[in-house]
Amino acid sequence: MTVVIGFEGSANKIGVGIVRDGVVLSNPRRTYITPPGQGFLPSETAKHHRGVILTVLKEALQQAGLKPADIDCVAYTKGPGMGAPLVTVALVARTVAQLWGKPLLGVNHCIGHIEMGRLVTHANNPTVLYVSGGNTQVIAYSEHRYRIFGETIDIAVGNCLDRFARVIKISNDPSPGYNIEQMAKRGKQYVELPYTVKGMDVSFSGIQSYIEEAAHKMLGSGQCTAEDLCFSLQETLFAMLVEITERAMAHCNSQEVLIVGGVGCNLRLQEMMGTMCKERGAHIFATDESFCIDNGAMIAQAGWEMFRSGHVTELSDSWITQRYRTDEVEVTWRD
Amino acid sequence: MAAPCNEDPAKLEFSLLVPFPSAREATIALQSLSPDREPRKGGISKELSILGSAMSVKWTADEARILRVSVGSFLDHLALVLETMEEFGPPLTLIHRK
Repeated sequence: MTVVIGFEGSANKIGVGIVRDGVVLSNPRRTYITPPGQGFLPSETAKHHRGVILTVLKEALQQAGLKPADIDCVAYTKGPGMGAPLVTVALVARTVAQLWGKPLLGVNHCIGHIEMGRLVTHANNPTVLYVSGGNTQVIAYSEHRYRIFGETIDIAVGNCLDRFARVIKISNDPSPGYNIEQMAKRGKQYVELPYTVKGMDVSFSGIQSYIEEAAHKMLGSGQCTAEDLCFSLQETLFAMLVEITERAMAHCNSQEVLIVGGVGCNLRLQEMMGTMCKERGAHIFATDESFCIDNGAMIAQAGWEMFRSGHVTELSDSWITQRYRTDEVEVTWRD
Repeated sequence: MAAPCNEDPAKLEFSLLVPFPSAREATIALQSLSPDREPRKGGISKELSILGSAMSVKWTADEARILRVSVGSFLDHLALVLETMEEFGPPLTLIHRK
């Protein structure tokens, strides 16, 4: 039996999860929620994490019913993400690893999402769409790397949604994306937006500034409602994502899609991806918010795979990094 | 104390001594606090070392402004490490020795 504890805090969630051989024993989490119209900034987010991390760690151990001695490895997010929150979490992971005499393991956040998705859905070798507030990538596994087939060339899809939510002052509780999704259900007309697929890549910053301007003009004059804009934005963004995912599937001869990352819990995205998969005779895998949204167990699960295949991170190499591409990691735990 | 640096009088120097119950705990703190580099490229350097059962930290900086930011964030980090040690310590090897 191998027990790994995982620490995650690269964005506005702080989570500690414990995984034992594919079973999630505990996975407590806290979210830093900002007022409507405001995003989360690095130093404030780090302050939030710092205030709750030791409580969340205690909860993780209690809920799992484990003592530190039962743990085999301490995994934490090395990157990518916001610097100050990453450091806060890494400090605690380094300290407890030394106090408990356990090896430390730095995990790539994106790999955490992929491995958690594979564990929960039992998808074997899926084409992965990783969509969140900081990342947008279409990924497929080949020759010991998670290779990026397509990605955003500017901002992440979740960032585009979050920023739009700020413009029209949608609540950030529980998340701006969730509230946009609910409002979109009440949208009645489609407002045409730029559609910016560039080969295998996508671009969202132009759509974001276009809809920001449209919101000011059209909402003021009553030409459309906020709900219409939420609906139109979702349809446009998700159509782009489905298009590049389908192209990656065709390229890799893949019959499976796995959606991970915070935006992945959007049911409309899952529905649109499902329609495409049905037409191709492919299978879609998605998880609910407990594993799609950043959490500690995903870092523990990727850490479990890495630790079992012989990875550890020396303390001197345990620096965090804001930039850390998915394809930098050699995937030694898969054939 | 922030004072002119001995080697280069144009630079500011700041030193901090943090006492610990033993050298083991001082080493844990040092190894938790030292991996991350200073965010900015030049203008400041920081050296951590163990002196008996204490951790010693020495900064040299070009400007007081940069020094203040670095020392401030280091003290925040130190406080988190100390709190973690209090709640989840003492270190395993010390328990064994007792």
